[in-house]
Amino acid sequence: MTLLENDMGETFVLFELAGTTYAVPSADVRQLEMIEHITPVPNAPDAVEGVVFSRGQVIPALSLRRRFGFPKVDYDLRSRLVVVSVGERSLGLIVDSAREFKRIPPGSISPPPETIAETTGKYISGIFSEDDRLILILDLTELIANGDEIQTESNS
Amino acid sequence: MGQNEFNEQFFEQLLEDYFAEADEHLRSIRRHLLAFEDSLRDGFEADRKDINELFRSFHTIKGISAMAEVSAAENLAHHLEGLLRSLRDGNTGLSQDSLEAMLAGTRKLEQVIASRKNNDPIPPINAEIERIEIIHRSADQRGKAEPQQPGTPSRSGGSIKFRVFFEPSKELAARDLTVTTVRERLEALGTIEGSKPVIRGEGKIAFEFVIAVADGSDASGFDSLRDDGITVTAYMEDGPAPIDGPHDPDLADVEHIRPSNVVRVDLARLDELMLIVGDLVISRAKLSKKLAAVEDLLPVEDSRDLHEINQSLEKQLRNLRDGVMRVRMVPLAEIFERMRFVARDLARDSEKRVRIDISGEDTEIDKLLVERMVDPLLHLVRNSVSHGIEEPEDRLAAGKPVEGVIRLHAATVGDSVLIQVSDDGRGVNIDKVTERARDLGLLAPVDGIDSDLELLNVLCSPGFSTTLEADRASGRGVGMDVVKRVADELGGSISLETSPSSGTSFSIRLPLTLAITDALIACVGEQRFAVPQLAVSEVIEIEPGSIRTLENLEVIEYRGRALPLIRLSRLFSMPGDGRETVQAFVVNEAGGAVALTVDRVIGQQEIVINAINDPLAKVPAFSGATELGDGQAVLILNVSEIAKEQRTK
Repeated sequence: MTLLENDMGETFVLFELAGTTYAVPSADVRQLEMIEHITPVPNAPDAVEGVVFSRGQVIPALSLRRRFGFPKVDYDLRSRLVVVSVGERSLGLIVDSAREFKRIPPGSISPPPETIAETTGKYISGIFSEDDRLILILDLTELIANGDEIQTESNS
Repeated sequence: MGQNEFNEQFFEQLLEDYFAEADEHLRSIRRHLLAFEDSLRDGFEADRKDINELFRSFHTIKGISAMAEVSAAENLAHHLEGLLRSLRDGNTGLSQDSLEAMLAGTRKLEQVIASRKNNDPIPPINAEIERIEIIHRSADQRGKAEPQQPGTPSRSGGSIKFRVFFEPSKELAARDLTVTTVRERLEALGTIEGSKPVIRGEGKIAFEFVIAVADGSDASGFDSLRDDGITVTAYMEDGPAPIDGPHDPDLADVEHIRPSNVVRVDLARLDELMLIVGDLVISRAKLSKKLAAVEDLLPVEDSRDLHEINQSLEKQLRNLRDGVMRVRMVPLAEIFERMRFVARDLARDSEKRVRIDISGEDTEIDKLLVERMVDPLLHLVRNSVSHGIEEPEDRLAAGKPVEGVIRLHAATVGDSVLIQVSDDGRGVNIDKVTERARDLGLLAPVDGIDSDLELLNVLCSPGFSTTLEADRASGRGVGMDVVKRVADELGGSISLETSPSSGTSFSIRLPLTLAITDALIACVGEQRFAVPQLAVSEVIEIEPGSIRTLENLEVIEYRGRALPLIRLSRLFSMPGDGRETVQAFVVNEAGGAVALTVDRVIGQQEIVINAINDPLAKVPAFSGATELGDGQAVLILNVSEIAKEQRTK
């Protein structure tokens, strides 16, 4: 049990993407950054917007809009790079905005309904509903592990 | 940390030290054995100094193998030590047989230690030990001396023995009290006769040493050990037998190894240091940039002062960088000497006569680069022995000396290191290579090989080998393609010269270090790219009128030859900035020179190379990314990959 995970539940970083709220475990988030310059990497997979330096390390910046098949929008002051670490890997997720932390009590997360769009469905590990909104909890391991697939999609 | 965990970590560290130390001694052993060989050939007696050094090395390996519980190595080293002892005492003369036995034993010793390191099964050592014992027996039969089997205890005279217990812990380690330091201190006091790990109560590991000091010598060294909490007791002759073989009175005439002032540092720590230096270089570039921006706003004197401070900062940083780099540098002598050993073995198997000539072995290069170069050099030397150097009769017929020469040469050239492997053999048989390349489909039936560069390209193609049956010398799975790939990966290049009369020469050019390099910065459209300067032979201007199109390929005339153009804007699907006259990097690659066009070259700068490790952003065309002071990532072009990709299109 870590600091972030006590009997009150685990904390999550919430972010917005195309009007939907997603959550990733705080423990996996290394930092939140304003989006400055992203260097495009020619011939990299489509969803990879480019690379950035984060704490002296070169990491890929992944456009979640492109990853999930949402239309592209220009970055603005609210756009954020959510830098996550999964195992040995670190990468940045480009999202529309990220402003909230939330503690979600255990047992209140339900499995994702089968009706979620096919593209994002496999990256959703659960759903938490609160008042009038739904929060989709992202499965980062799945999101990143599918990297090989993005690679082949773009190369074919 | 629990005791078990500590023990585990402790043993890991102990093993690491063991491998490093064993390696050092094995290297020294190889060198001295080769000296033996020379003496034997020239009909001289073996040098006493060589004998003593060898004896000491085997003795140390025996001791440290016992501590690391590698009993096969301990046993083998023990027998080798015995052979050296009787050689020294004149019971055995240096003969081809005894040399062969020592060489075979050393090779097996290396294998045993390597197997332990890789957690492979330990190979049997019986054959080598048997061989050594035969020599002992024949020495006995000649009756030159009383039989002295290795391992027979001999009398110790005029010395006092102590038993020393040392129980390592992390607290003691923090005070620099480790098995290694304690052993060094003991070595300075006297002769260590035995050492072994013992498990004490509560599963703690301790080390027991038995040490002999000359009677009447100064015992104050033991007091300082006692002060450090190490148990020292008198060793009773009627107590338990010495743990590790006999006391060797003759060791006394071998100089004691004094604790040296050499520090062994983990390469990872140096990497860390290099990263910090890299960060500093970037911060300085930022400072410089900001300074230029505000320069006009400042009074002239202030601006000039700041400028000067910035300049001395740059110089100091360069010194710091060079200093850190120097720590990482090791001379090439070690691997060159190893090649001598390899060539010798191979030549003996093939009945050829080969001598290795070494020059420039003091040339230093990054430790990491040395390690990566071992296999490529092994391959080149094997190639020279098996393909290059002719059979003795062929050499005589060609008017060459019977003994073939393989030259290993190294030199520092500017910011790079040149390593050459040359032989005075028959040269590469171009007809044979052409034929085989056509069979393999590497060359069209009508194509030939017109230059050394084309030849190199064919030789470096994966799967190419002219010897169909893999012989011991060359067929070890490492091909020229691997040599080329390693050179590429290290940011270097390789070239070849060959002729039937003067033999074959491979030259490998490598950067001094991997982390920082000088680069040219160029623009394509709005994006900047860096190109390591070592990879570029020239920057040229290209007028639109000078470009010819052959089928799908654009070429320009360059020094009387057609030079293919690779337009980076096209390759990367990026709009250029629309200018007509572009600039290009001329890059010499194994497949022929190519020109990579960019919009313009905007500068030259020292860059810090950061690897791109994530599979999502890893693209063969880029070897990493750097930062030029503004926080933005700038991709570093991997020119040889780009040229290769283009060729295969």
